[in-house]
Amino acid sequence: MIRPDAPILLEIRDLHAQIEDQPILHGVNLTIRAGEIHALMGRNGSGKSTLSKILAGHPAYGVTAGTVLFEGEDLLSLSPEERARKGLFLGFQYPVEIPGVSNLEFLRVATNARRQHLGEEELDTFSFEDLVRDRLQVVQMDASFLDRSVNEGFSGGEKKRNEILQMALLTPEVAILDETDSGLDIDALRIVAGGVCQLAGPNNATLLITHYQRLLDAITPDFVHVMAAGRILRTGGKELALELEARGYDWVDEELARLQPATPVEMS
Amino acid sequence: MTSTSIESLVATPYKYGFVTDIETEKFSKGLSEEVIRKISAIKEEPDFLLQFRLKAYQHWLTMTEPNWASLGYPAIDYQDLIYYAAPKQSSKKSSLDEVDPKLLETFDKLGIPLNEQKRLSNVAVDAVFDSVSIATTFKEKLSEHGVIFCSISEAVREHPDLIEKYLGSVVPINDNFFATLNSAVFSDGSFVLIPKGVQCPMELSTYFRINSGDTGQFERTLIIAEEGSSVSYLEGCTAPMFDTNQLHAAVVELVALDEASIKYSTVQNWYAGDANGVGGIYNFVTKRGHCRGRRSRISWTQVETGSAITWKYPSCVLQGADSVGEFYSVALTNHRQQADTGTKMIHVGPRTRSTIVSKGISAGSSANTYRGLVQIGPKAKGARNFSQCDSMLIGDQAAANTHPYIRSQQPDADVEHEASTCRISEEQLFYLQSRGIGVEEAVSMMVSGFCRDVFNQLPMEFAAEADKLLALKLEGSVG
Amino acid sequence: MPTLSPLPSRPSALAGTSWIQALLQACPASLATLEAPQLKDRLAARLALESTSLPGKREEAWRFTDLSLLTQIPPRPLEPALGSTQTQASPAPHSWRLPLDAWPEIGETTWPEGIEPLHGPELEAQLGRVLAATETTNHWSVLLNSAIAQPVVALRIRPGVRTCLEVVSDSEQRSGVQAHRLLLVLEEGACLDLLQVHQAGGPSLCSVVVEAQLGPHSTLRHGQVTHGPNHGVLLAMTAVNQAPGSCYTLTSVCSGWGLARQEPVILQSEGQATSQLRGLHWVKDHQISDTHSRVRFTGPEGQLDQVHKVVAEAEGRSVFNGCIQVPREAQRTKAAQLSRSLLLSDRARIDTKPELEIVADDVRCTHGATISRLQQNELFYLQSRGIAAPQAARLLLRGFCEEIVSQLPSASQSWSPLSSLLQAEARP
Repeated sequence: MIRPDAPILLEIRDLHAQIEDQPILHGVNLTIRAGEIHALMGRNGSGKSTLSKILAGHPAYGVTAGTVLFEGEDLLSLSPEERARKGLFLGFQYPVEIPGVSNLEFLRVATNARRQHLGEEELDTFSFEDLVRDRLQVVQMDASFLDRSVNEGFSGGEKKRNEILQMALLTPEVAILDETDSGLDIDALRIVAGGVCQLAGPNNATLLITHYQRLLDAITPDFVHVMAAGRILRTGGKELALELEARGYDWVDEELARLQPATPVEMS
Repeated sequence: MTSTSIESLVATPYKYGFVTDIETEKFSKGLSEEVIRKISAIKEEPDFLLQFRLKAYQHWLTMTEPNWASLGYPAIDYQDLIYYAAPKQSSKKSSLDEVDPKLLETFDKLGIPLNEQKRLSNVAVDAVFDSVSIATTFKEKLSEHGVIFCSISEAVREHPDLIEKYLGSVVPINDNFFATLNSAVFSDGSFVLIPKGVQCPMELSTYFRINSGDTGQFERTLIIAEEGSSVSYLEGCTAPMFDTNQLHAAVVELVALDEASIKYSTVQNWYAGDANGVGGIYNFVTKRGHCRGRRSRISWTQVETGSAITWKYPSCVLQGADSVGEFYSVALTNHRQQADTGTKMIHVGPRTRSTIVSKGISAGSSANTYRGLVQIGPKAKGARNFSQCDSMLIGDQAAANTHPYIRSQQPDADVEHEASTCRISEEQLFYLQSRGIGVEEAVSMMVSGFCRDVFNQLPMEFAAEADKLLALKLEGSVG
Repeated sequence: MPTLSPLPSRPSALAGTSWIQALLQACPASLATLEAPQLKDRLAARLALESTSLPGKREEAWRFTDLSLLTQIPPRPLEPALGSTQTQASPAPHSWRLPLDAWPEIGETTWPEGIEPLHGPELEAQLGRVLAATETTNHWSVLLNSAIAQPVVALRIRPGVRTCLEVVSDSEQRSGVQAHRLLLVLEEGACLDLLQVHQAGGPSLCSVVVEAQLGPHSTLRHGQVTHGPNHGVLLAMTAVNQAPGSCYTLTSVCSGWGLARQEPVILQSEGQATSQLRGLHWVKDHQISDTHSRVRFTGPEGQLDQVHKVVAEAEGRSVFNGCIQVPREAQRTKAAQLSRSLLLSDRARIDTKPELEIVADDVRCTHGATISRLQQNELFYLQSRGIAAPQAARLLLRGFCEEIVSQLPSASQSWSPLSSLLQAEARP
């Protein structure tokens, strides 16, 4: 839903970043307003996942230039947990397994950290169980998942559903879903996409990172961005994704070559 | 998140480091036959016990301190220790009202109120202060069920026949250097007898407090579970902060007869010394359970977080057919602490079973060693053992050693051992942070998740305490 | 641990000392075939040994290994062979056999391409270097070997060697003591298959020390097949120092021997190398098999994969002590150790003692140990398919062994190690 007057939730300006002295992002610009669904597409290594990790505050990446505002506030100076509490959510491409830590306990602590930030009452074990059982339906998960360790021994689809369950509990303003569709069979994809659609509303926004059209068949994006060599190369509507599906990514190389006629030069 | 910042999280404020200012009756330093006779005389012991002590002392003189453990510490001067210290009061009081209020206050401060009204109604406590037991709660209620729960000194007076029959029957006088020393000089401790067929109606616990700076604590605990009975027992320990080391050499003996069950839990939080390894308790403890009867069961659960040095191997001799031994352990070391701990499961009888779960966490420049023995004797047909020992390392200065020794002489037995070493990965930490969970809580969640298999074995009331204690140890300065 | 069951009686110190002294007297202090550095080593070792006795139970590393059998072996060099060892199968194609018994004549032979003997200053620089690096120079079994070793074979391996080097000794029914020393220096990028075969049939001691320096990105596939009699003793030390990028695999199959003591010691001095250890030991009668392995990483990103298997029947005893050391500088080490033992008799005994010493936080180390008889469910499964119990047991045992034997260099096939193992198999 595009509303030009809707408040800006996330604003990325000329973001440059690197990992271990290796530059990855070369000036990313992106503005996301409430109510919008954005899709970020591009080949492997184009910088999509890096962007998502930087937004969530992964310590391995260093920002070398640029700014990111989250609801008008400097995001980059915040710790990962502060970003989460303020309502930025990253759905991981590869959710991490944490043996020994119970999923239910993990979800409760995370939910309460967010609720505390929102000035809501923290939930005790019993009322949290009621809440979580309710939210389980969003991702059609069985309650037995709650008794297991965080992501441990989960199948690929179960891990992704657990991510969406967390999103449903944390009710973020901006949800970034990093290749949430990869490795999902058709049923799991339908459940995950259904969950995302159900959670999308006029006051929050979603950034879907994906390779494929098939997720976008289920969730219609308002904007599609194509990323290459660490920057957003082109932005369009949902038809851009269809064009990509039809033409592949080869034109990206041509366009890149046009942008960088000689040796690759940093765009300032 | 780098490992150094995880390291800074494990800085440990020690909350029990205060000294109680109380007039104490102390022997002068040194150990001799005379000192032993004096201890025995103060306690008005029967002759058999004096002979027990003297025999141990004579044997101890011929022994040398063991050096096979992965521990390093300056030589202990056994003549520079005080072997008996007791708060001045004429004799053990029959009622709490007569106990020095300073002592009651001390235990209040430690979170162990001795006043029965204040206590959890289902836990009875024997409180040991330096060398003597100062109070035992709920004795009357327990005696209604025939359960004897008192200090070992009292048991020597009231039930000498039981003491003579069982004392030293599990850990013999000449067992090892520290146990033999204990046999010569032990001053107090707890005694429990659960009569035939009785399920002990409440948790029993002993709380050990070392208060004096130059005194060794040598307590002796003896628990007997008669046929078909069961008991759950918890031991807790703290000591003030001194920049000298105090020796603690305890002996615990458990006897389980036919179909009896003893669950023994320890939450050990002796003063561990400061960040540079100055001060702290030297904890040399011999704990052994004897599953004497068929289908008997002895279960050790320990959460070891304190002491400068821990040398401790709670063990089970599984003699009765179908008897079961269990060992669940969490050992957390930080700074310059050294722990060499584990268990021995000696399978003697047929179809005996044992389980070992050990979780070692080493941080700072500490050293944490698991040392275990699983021995399947030739008659232990159908015996089974499963062992799992996992180590978690925090920082690159900490050491984790694993020495699981297995010996089998019985083909119809299964022994299985698994071990792994891990650390808290940056990715795990980031994942939890990205869900709004702070670094401290995230580390604490993962450590407690790592220990969950062990905490699940603690009695309900204490599982939360242990979790809290570990979280406290991980409480730090980040944020 | 304070209490352990009593061990069998040991030879008295006097018997041990006098046995060593007799042996030293019977073995010449000097040999014409020795070069100066070898001679220096030999004299130093003799000096060190003269005042020592046999290691006893008070030494942790020898606690379970009763050396009394040694003193029953005549303390003199092995009797000379009556004829050449005709009974041996001919070498596999692409295999080049070095019969240690026929030394020094064989020294005259032309070596295969890429394999060159070391002499003079080169030999001096290399001999004992790996032993020193792995801190094994003064191990008792190394000293014994150094004092009397004959021959000492020192070889440089250049890249491009195509043959398998087969080093063989067979003392047949003869009695006495033989000691072999092999030094290999693998140059950068070199690759070698080495097969060691030691057989004995009489009351004899076979002492063998292999030292190998693996250059960067070199590969040594090392197989050991050893078989001896109940009155025979094997003392085998293998010391390896690996440079980064090198790959070392040791597969050892050992059966027979009243006493077989094997000590593989690996050092990954700068990490970043791969080591694989495979052992299979079959003990019966009153045999003792004792493996003390030690792998030490003193650099990052090293890898170890170790599997030690034992079959113990009759009154056989097996000892496995597997030590893995990961000090602070060895971050990102990956090490896995597994010990699997089959205890087939209620008079046999198995002792296993893994030892992990870790002072680095970013490492993955796992170890596991099992001791059991043949799995009843596996036996039952085979029986339910109509296979009789004894045959089912044989099949399972074969599978148990095959997993290790199949990793030997292919040249080992001419020695049919699996079938000679299974000849000794348990009859339920």
